Amino acid sequence: MRTTPRILSSEKIMKTIKKDKINTVLDFLIKKYQVFGPVQKDDLVVDFGRIQNGAQACLEFSNTNEPAKKLFFPQAETLFSYTGSDAAQVSELKPEKPRIIFGMRPCDAKSLSLLDAVFDGPDYKDPYYIVKRKNTTIFTLACRRPRSNCFCDSLGIGPFSKKDTDVFMADLGDRYVFEPITPGGADILNKIPGLENARPTDAERLKNLRSEAESKVARKVDLDNLPEKLARIFDHPFWDGIHQKCLGCGICTYLCPTCHCFDIVDEQKDDKGRRIRIWDSCSYPTFTLEASGHNPRATGKERMRQRLMHKFRYFVENYGEIACVGCGRCINHCPVGSDLIREIENINNLK
Amino acid sequence: MDLQTKLRQEARKLLEEKLVDVVIGYEDEGAPLRTTPCFITDPQDVDRLVWNPFCDHNLARYLTARKDKAAVVAKGCDTRAIVVLINENQIERKNVNILGMPCGGIVDRKKIYNHLKNGDVREAVLKDKVITVKGLEFTADLMVDDFLADCCLSCRHRNPVLCDVQIGENLPPLDVKDEYKKIKQLEESTSEERWEYFRKTLSKCIRCYACREACPLCYCQQCFTDQNFPAWVGKTTDISDTIVFHIMRAFHTTGRCVDCGACERSCPNNVDIRMLTKKIAKDVKELFGDEAGLQLEEKAPLSFYNEDDPQDFIK
Amino acid sequence: MKNPYVPMPVKLKAVRLENETGDLKTFDLVFVNSGDAENFKFVCGQFAMLSINGVGEAPFGIASSPLTKEVLRFTVKKYPKGVLTTALHNLSEGSTLGLRGPLGNGFPLEKMTSKNLLVVGGGFALTTLRALTKYVLHEKNRPHYGDITLFVAARDPGEMLYKDDLAEWSKRNDIEIVQTIDKPVEDWPHKVGFAAPVLKDLAPSAQNTTAVVCGPPIMIETCIKVLAGLHFPDEEIITSLEMKMKCGIGKCGRCNIGSKYICKDGPVFTYKQLKELNSVTV
Ligand SMILES: Cc1cc2nc3c(=O)[nH]c(=O)nc-3n(C[C@H](O)[C@H](O)[C@H](O)COP(=O)(O)OP(=O)(O)OC[C@H]3O[C@@H](n4cnc5c(N)ncnc54)[C@H](O)[C@@H]3O)c2cc1C
Ligand code: SF4
Ligand code: SF4
Ligand code: FES
Repeated sequence: MRTTPRILSSEKIMKTIKKDKINTVLDFLIKKYQVFGPVQKDDLVVDFGRIQNGAQACLEFSNTNEPAKKLFFPQAETLFSYTGSDAAQVSELKPEKPRIIFGMRPCDAKSLSLLDAVFDGPDYKDPYYIVKRKNTTIFTLACRRPRSNCFCDSLGIGPFSKKDTDVFMADLGDRYVFEPITPGGADILNKIPGLENARPTDAERLKNLRSEAESKVARKVDLDNLPEKLARIFDHPFWDGIHQKCLGCGICTYLCPTCHCFDIVDEQKDDKGRRIRIWDSCSYPTFTLEASGHNPRATGKERMRQRLMHKFRYFVENYGEIACVGCGRCINHCPVGSDLIREIENINNLK
Repeated sequence: MDLQTKLRQEARKLLEEKLVDVVIGYEDEGAPLRTTPCFITDPQDVDRLVWNPFCDHNLARYLTARKDKAAVVAKGCDTRAIVVLINENQIERKNVNILGMPCGGIVDRKKIYNHLKNGDVREAVLKDKVITVKGLEFTADLMVDDFLADCCLSCRHRNPVLCDVQIGENLPPLDVKDEYKKIKQLEESTSEERWEYFRKTLSKCIRCYACREACPLCYCQQCFTDQNFPAWVGKTTDISDTIVFHIMRAFHTTGRCVDCGACERSCPNNVDIRMLTKKIAKDVKELFGDEAGLQLEEKAPLSFYNEDDPQDFIK
Repeated sequence: MKNPYVPMPVKLKAVRLENETGDLKTFDLVFVNSGDAENFKFVCGQFAMLSINGVGEAPFGIASSPLTKEVLRFTVKKYPKGVLTTALHNLSEGSTLGLRGPLGNGFPLEKMTSKNLLVVGGGFALTTLRALTKYVLHEKNRPHYGDITLFVAARDPGEMLYKDDLAEWSKRNDIEIVQTIDKPVEDWPHKVGFAAPVLKDLAPSAQNTTAVVCGPPIMIETCIKVLAGLHFPDEEIITSLEMKMKCGIGKCGRCNIGSKYICKDGPVFTYKQLKELNSVTV
């Protein structure tokens, strides 16, 4: 797993810039890096996209609809291509320019460390993910207005978390402040023209804003005994009821920043083809449907159980952490109003 | 007596007299601006049932997989879906007990979020026809009627077309204006403009299939999108794949879609799914004079052949 | 960094029909690049992903012994709705395909040394058991194991796999071979009946014995029950599991039982492990 180098606190010189100048920062970065940031897709949807000029970024947003994972683990990605039955051709995995993700939320930043455990684990390495990750610097933007279903606090993250990022940013109202977290982040910060040193009072200001934001995280969930509890209730009748209203769509898994399941398929036109991987979901019957017609997870019950078990038990057993960052996307977007927090409470309350 | 109380009474009766095994309805779990489907088997629990303009799911969707006897809370459009399902032999009339709800329209949450400039609603209280919404930095009183779903604005069948018990009096027909306004605009635009519109809205699709899963009529055991031998549609989110998925799904609803809007409301990315189904419904109405799900024992216009079927579109 | 998704090119050297129904074919493959051949080191019980460009990829147990260097052998059942298995069956000798592996853990051969071996196989799951049997019968290895019994079950004689191998092994006196078919057939000199009851009648001794059971899920389940009844300790009952697979390396998330991925942590598990994983089911 990745260990993030940290810089000494004495080198942590906070920088600041007026809000109306933030575009100049982006414009500078765009010259040297591929910059991705939140962009408005329509009235309701903000998502990460490539930014060609600073004005495209939309930094006044709650969170992106789709999580940042797609920048490292895209929904559809070519593993290699081929002609006829010739050997596989893998194209250059390294991005043309190093990348910056500007304005990722702390929950999404944390999710990358969880994905690292899977794709950059001790056994098999996933070059597609790792190369993107190694060539990316992350600027997280603290959340001043957590949404109603955010519960990152309960996962030890919090709206002002500085973990798993290279540069930490916060909105002070009329200015942004930047705090370097890793040497790589500090390097980049030092090169950006127009940044001033932060004011002496800014640290105190940040502290206040932080507690203010934390107090707005309204939802909490007790996860202390969940993995052990789940280990004991695999056969509990509870699972017979919980999945009833579930539609079996892929929203909760596709929009989850930690879900990493995928499918691999071939696509071919004439004699040119490629093998691609695409997001897949444990909610779909086809996920485990075998050629013989047998399906070990035959109904919504087994599939819903797998989703919760994977996040809150199996992942913990394999990698030592819960595979949830409390972003609330699955709750916000579930078409039938399934509420993960309530499900967990129900599990906690089971005898 | 208000409709909700009446609904609970009927549900209790059905369960107590063991006329059904389950009542499928809506409950309020406290999330603002929404309800959630519930499955009630114990008469003690009927007070969980609610009826309000946030009852936006089409619960007919849950009927096809069942083997037991179910009562279902159904709005006008939902009853039309049930009629289609019965006509297509997906459910047996005797196994479903329809609690028909005359419906004044349901709220499209996304319209409220939009109005609030994507504001995060933390609390919502409905009183009469006013929704008081609260967020971290705002409070607003909103009128239900200003935020009705598009399909409700052009609804011609607000009252149940088929039911066992109707809860409440029939509502007068809605004065529908401009039912096809958006469709006509699209029809009148150039093919480039149309393509641009399709491209823009469909490129937001992430192939989560919520639209398909929420649709009561997408009951195929294996959807063409899931078949891999042969594979009809690519699985990526390239626009060429997404568009095939959406066009084929829309065509598959020809003469069957009841315009309940469930697909569109379920979409996490605000894809304009209804534009395709509505355009097809318009064509079906104009060509065959048919609207789906109004009568039992009626066949969908594309599922049989008539000597005098219009042929002028075959060129 | 090695790219675990990219297959090595292999050539189909020989293919032959394996059963009367015609849905089982055995494929002998050779590496196109000699470097790949040298680097390909596997143990019995491991599997590999076979792929055809433009069609797809699927996992198959390696049926040849690691000591046979000339070819890699696979036996593949064709499913009417199976994309890759159908395409594989249509391949002619000389075709190029892709191979990714070896994958999975394989049988715990170290732990099995100096033990008696009871190898129980049914249907086409005999593949990796063939590899195992060939391996332990090799003159270098045979002294390290006690008595060896191979118990094979098939629907009818025409479905019995690896008839040549069985004939050859039958000539040896250092392995006992028991064959059974579901229903009586004229001139069948061996046992008749489903695997589990026949195994029960046979009542192999659990004394210092490791049992390896592979077959259709129902056969695995019933045979494990019989063995447990014969006092085989849970950790001495070994089986190989199957689930739909894509990546084969524990990342695509679909083939788990409990927290273990069958592709990476399995496919070989002891009955003890399966019980600890909460279930033999997923
Ligand atoms: C560890 C292991 C060893 C196996 N060994 C053998 C063997 O020696 N001989 C043999 O005939 N079969 C074996 N199988 C089963 C074989 O993998 C499936 O029959 C095959 O994947 C079907 O592929 P398809 O493309 O024809 O089917 P489709 O239904 O078209 O499958 C599409 C894809 O789904 C996956 N898939 C579908 N069914 C299965 C399945 N049962 N197991 C794993 N993946 C599946 C594959 O990735 C496949 O490419 C093994 C399976 C596993 C897990
Ligand atoms: S499980 Fe839900 S809340 Fe947790 S990280 Fe995934 S989408 Fe966010
Ligand atoms: S619900 Fe929306 S995002 Fe999901 S498949 Fe349908 S159109 Fe695409
Ligand atoms: S096949 Fe992907 S995790 Fe096992």
